[in-house]
Amino acid sequence: MRSRSFAIVLACVAAAVSLAANAAGDAAKGKVESATCLGCHGIEDYVNVYPTYRVPKLAGQHAAYIIQALKEYKSGGRDHRTMHAQASSLTEQQMEDIAAYFQSLGDQDNGKH
Amino acid sequence: MTMKKILATCAVIVGVFAAQAVLAEGNSEAGKQKSQTCAACHGANGISTSDQFPILAGQYRDYIIQALHEYQKGDRTNPIMAGMAKPLSEQDIQDLAAYFSSLPGPLHTLPREGGNK
Repeated sequence: MRSRSFAIVLACVAAAVSLAANAAGDAAKGKVESATCLGCHGIEDYVNVYPTYRVPKLAGQHAAYIIQALKEYKSGGRDHRTMHAQASSLTEQQMEDIAAYFQSLGDQDNGKH
Repeated sequence: MTMKKILATCAVIVGVFAAQAVLAEGNSEAGKQKSQTCAACHGANGISTSDQFPILAGQYRDYIIQALHEYQKGDRTNPIMAGMAKPLSEQDIQDLAAYFSSLPGPLHTLPREGGNK
């Protein structure tokens, strides 16, 4: 029947669209998922315990780079205990969501450097 | 030793340390000169056009220094940056960090409004 096959096609399209949105990284979800990052990265001039240096500013950074960095922390490509622990708790989808959220913050000019 | 010699020695020692402080600080102008190679990936003003390469403009100076050291030491395994960081002297690193951190850009601290609100 026509209406039935149309409904199936519609369902497939809807599924495909939602899958595509997920793959890209959902900034709204990223905002929720990144709460754990704020403890260090949400405090201006927050300093790493040792060696002593400030943790990087993340708001406004490129999403693809954030994802790559998180993967390297997770895999050990970057040697950093705290970030390894943080990144290891994230799925790839969560990394994409968080990265999308961080990148989206660059559109807001709040004048902070 | 006479008082004069002691004072002269002290002056030399202080002078050496003062010079160290200037060297360590990093010179933004010198950094700009040295950043030509970096611009290819990180953009003319530290704002990269390709999203594979991070924006450096306005990033914390000491974080940039830390990252470059990590690339040099191999604590970060990245073939591109390892090659870029290898020829840098300590002064180069200080100058580059001073330069990039001084540039205006979109980077800032995460707003503390995350989570479920």
